[in-house]
Amino acid sequence: MLIVDELKKNDPQLRLVAAMVAAGLVLLLGGLWWVQVVSAREYQSNLQTQSTRTVRVPAVRGKILDREGRVLAESQARYNLSLYLDDLRGQFDQAYSRLKKQGLATQQQKIIRDEKELHRHLTKVEQKKYAFTTKDLQWLSVEARWSVATNVTAGLSQDLDQPVSLDWKTFERSYESRLYLPFPVLQNLDTAQIARFEEHFSPDLGANLDVQPARFYPYGTTASHLLGYVSEDDSSIEGEDSYFSYRLPDYRGKVGIEGGFDAVLHGRAGEDEVEVNNYGYKQAENIVEPSEPGENVVLTIDLDLQRAAEESLASHQGVDARGAIVVMDVRTGDVLTMVSSPAMNPVYASNSPAFLTDPKLEPQINRALYGSFAPGSIFKPVVGLAALENGLDPNQYYDVQPDPLAPYHGCIYIGRRKIGDTVPPGEYDFQRAIEQSSNSYFIWNGLHVARIENVVRLGEKFHFGEKTGLLKGQEVGGDFPTLDQVRSWGEGEQANICFGQGELTVTPLQMAVAYSAIANGGTVLWPRLVAGIEPQDQTSGEVATNFPSGQVRDNIGVSQRSMKILREAMLTETEDPAGTGYPAFHQHDSVLNLRVCGKTGTAQVQDIHNQVISHNYWFASFAPYENPKYAVVVMVQTEGSGSGGSICAPIAHDIYAEILKKENSQAPQPVIAAVN
Amino acid sequence: MVNPSINEHGGKLDKLQLIAVAGLMFIGAAFVYSATARTQSSTLPWFDWMWLRQILWYVIGVGTAAALGLLDYHKLARWSLVIYWLTIICLVAVLIPGIGSTNNSGARRWIDLPLFQFQPSEFAKLSFILAMANFLSRPADELKQWPVFWKGIGLMMLPFILIFKEPDLGSALVLIPTGVVMMFVAGTPRKYLLTLGGTVGILGVLALGDILFAPRALQLPIQDYQRQRLLVYFGTSFAEAHATPEQRAEARALQAKSSYQGKQALIGVGSGGLLGKGWCQGSEAALGFLPAGAAHNDFIFSVIAEEEGFVGTCLVLTLYAVVLFTGLRIAGQARDRLGKLMAVGVVTLLFSHVFINIGMNIRIVPVTGIPLPLLSYGGSSVLCSLIALGLMQNVYIHRKGY
Repeated sequence: MLIVDELKKNDPQLRLVAAMVAAGLVLLLGGLWWVQVVSAREYQSNLQTQSTRTVRVPAVRGKILDREGRVLAESQARYNLSLYLDDLRGQFDQAYSRLKKQGLATQQQKIIRDEKELHRHLTKVEQKKYAFTTKDLQWLSVEARWSVATNVTAGLSQDLDQPVSLDWKTFERSYESRLYLPFPVLQNLDTAQIARFEEHFSPDLGANLDVQPARFYPYGTTASHLLGYVSEDDSSIEGEDSYFSYRLPDYRGKVGIEGGFDAVLHGRAGEDEVEVNNYGYKQAENIVEPSEPGENVVLTIDLDLQRAAEESLASHQGVDARGAIVVMDVRTGDVLTMVSSPAMNPVYASNSPAFLTDPKLEPQINRALYGSFAPGSIFKPVVGLAALENGLDPNQYYDVQPDPLAPYHGCIYIGRRKIGDTVPPGEYDFQRAIEQSSNSYFIWNGLHVARIENVVRLGEKFHFGEKTGLLKGQEVGGDFPTLDQVRSWGEGEQANICFGQGELTVTPLQMAVAYSAIANGGTVLWPRLVAGIEPQDQTSGEVATNFPSGQVRDNIGVSQRSMKILREAMLTETEDPAGTGYPAFHQHDSVLNLRVCGKTGTAQVQDIHNQVISHNYWFASFAPYENPKYAVVVMVQTEGSGSGGSICAPIAHDIYAEILKKENSQAPQPVIAAVN
Repeated sequence: MVNPSINEHGGKLDKLQLIAVAGLMFIGAAFVYSATARTQSSTLPWFDWMWLRQILWYVIGVGTAAALGLLDYHKLARWSLVIYWLTIICLVAVLIPGIGSTNNSGARRWIDLPLFQFQPSEFAKLSFILAMANFLSRPADELKQWPVFWKGIGLMMLPFILIFKEPDLGSALVLIPTGVVMMFVAGTPRKYLLTLGGTVGILGVLALGDILFAPRALQLPIQDYQRQRLLVYFGTSFAEAHATPEQRAEARALQAKSSYQGKQALIGVGSGGLLGKGWCQGSEAALGFLPAGAAHNDFIFSVIAEEEGFVGTCLVLTLYAVVLFTGLRIAGQARDRLGKLMAVGVVTLLFSHVFINIGMNIRIVPVTGIPLPLLSYGGSSVLCSLIALGLMQNVYIHRKGY
């Protein structure tokens, strides 16, 4: 080595200096090796942490469609007017230096004033008390950005002709922690406001529109219980990153289809990575993971029918009526309509808390699924079938005794207990007993011909007391006694079952399933509410899933002869002038070209003191008689007096009218047709 | 004197050193660009572009060094005392409000000239080397006299105290090793130097202990930020022993603020890894974590290290090693003790700068505002480094004397 050789010749002092220089350089080299090679990872992650922010970007939520593809719920763009703080940075800086200049001028004035008073120059230390402290300067920058922000919003107020307010605290919080995101000042602009803003917009305004998805229900409260609602929830779902610097607003379904099918509708949130500078201003943005949109849920619901049912219930019983309606295709189990009243607004926040918590209205309960009620007389067909199967001669008369206290009404004695009958005393065969709904007839024949065990066995075939599995966690199974239970009972309790009272409750949906079985010849179907799931973007190539219809759960195993006898008897309910449902179907201008088999019912609701406080009125039916297609179950809870025939049958009538109208019109074929 | 006569002396230039210097200037221009071009305002006029100004200073510096190279260093040495006292006057002037201009932290280091800010402390380092070399080149016997020794110390302490007053502790401190090494090489008896070293060492340890641990009332009157940098370096808590929770929180915040620059520089160096992120791809300076005022001067090394990695920093160290060792070779080959002392002075000065600056980027030494020769942005620093190197070449050119 040239240099080293030269040094060797030289004096020891120079050699020592060279050694020290070499040692110093080696020390630096070692230090660099340690920092850059050994610990590089640690410093790289430090840099990553301080310069990137991750933002959770929610996926576009899927739509909810009716069976013909009409939109019941969708995500719509909601426009917010936001300040873009990175664009305002220049203005912030300008305002800051202006304020600082003013402050310095004031300082100078104070110094001059003091000097005049003292007739001498101030010393450095004396001048210092007027100087800015770090805190003063911080306040100046706060003041500067606040003045810019208020100026900009004032301009916006003028442009939009509407006050735009700015909250100092939220603004500061947003500035300190989320500089890289737009800061909303006016939410949910309507089209007129958007147009106004666009008119005045200029790129250096520092404000712009930003889009946020919001859930929109085009038909308002229609099918509200069925659809359910969403609430703001930006937490990560399974499989997503759990840490984000910021989460854009997102929604999760709470109940109904929104809740039950949230996993499908929700999609998968994406992740944006924002590179920020030392102040936190956005420097660059890149999408680490794009969001995957949620899928659409196609219901079996027919929107026209659903709306007709809701309108009919509201027009007959008022919008606050407590009731439920289920319309089912008896061949497939498809739920065509499911109404629960009173309806609530699916935009949950727009319901008044007083309404939501009303103990009587209970608007949050889906009565069609989650309400279980005593069925009353609409249970009699089940008892009737059990009796027919066990040797009841439908033509044999049963003599209803008069009630000694009310001679125009019948009654029956079970042991020493008297059970009243609404029908007049006299001779009743099967048809007349169904048509006029005699309690005595069905109690006598249920206990002595069918025997209670067989009633229960048949009821089990119908799967009373069990859930239908329509929406998990949002359904009750009702109460139905077991064989052991009824065997342990006295005759009085057994008699209660025979006319649909006592330890027996059902949901309107269960009744629709049961009447469908009676209508279709004995097949108990699994009801279907969701026809399928399809991708939001039809061109995406993702495969739609169709859930099969007409899934058989059970067969009631009843002879066709018995079924025929029952159906004929139920037909007289609406066709014989003495039938309880006759008036509703024979108003002079409303006779349908449709033969409907039905059964009315009235169940008393008692308080803890056995006082009757209200009634559950029912009308359960199916049609057409010749070739049944639809089952319609209507239930109304009211304190008012009446009967299933006068309160519920007119509503069923309206629904059948709508069904006919739909069948007769040349409506295009459904997108997802009911298959059978 | 003209070129042919240089050849006649068999002079020429130390080419190896010049290649290394050219390499450093190239790197300097490239990374001043990287550190500033991405954050500067797009409306900045071209004559305010930092990297362009840096190149301009290189040109001016090379020109000045070449001009000085034409003069024999003996002639320069004859004027050394005049230059020395002129510098002292400048250093005094800079302390006078109205002449010296302050930076943000209140230090008076610059004299505003029409085109640029003149930093006398940089030139003081040069004139000190010249004067000291001239002073020490007397017969070796005289150096054994105490009065001569103390005069040498005085020559060193005068600019030291004035620069320390600005305050610019870093620039003041590099005078000490430069002076001591020159005295050592000149042949000052070891006894004197050991006495001096021992005294300074003991005083230094006492001062450090005082700064780090003494209660406020008993502390040496140094600047707050200087004290804080030392506390940060030694990892000592800012809070006093009996501080209230609020005072502690305040002290913590202040500590975070004081350690910020050093921490960011270290993150920059470390995140470069082995190969770096590529030129203009680093994010420390571009995102402003490394303060915009520091990235292109005192912390330029962090930018280089982040973008070029360990490979790049090794190259930089190699180039400096070439400059320093060729400098020592020039000292060995010098015609006389004056030339040898000048070369040794320049080598020590450059080495001190390199060691302290790179050291503070990797937290081997506390953060001090001291530029990296030839790489850091700054007219005075570039000019002085190039003139110093020119002096060294001057010694080389005239190594064969008559």
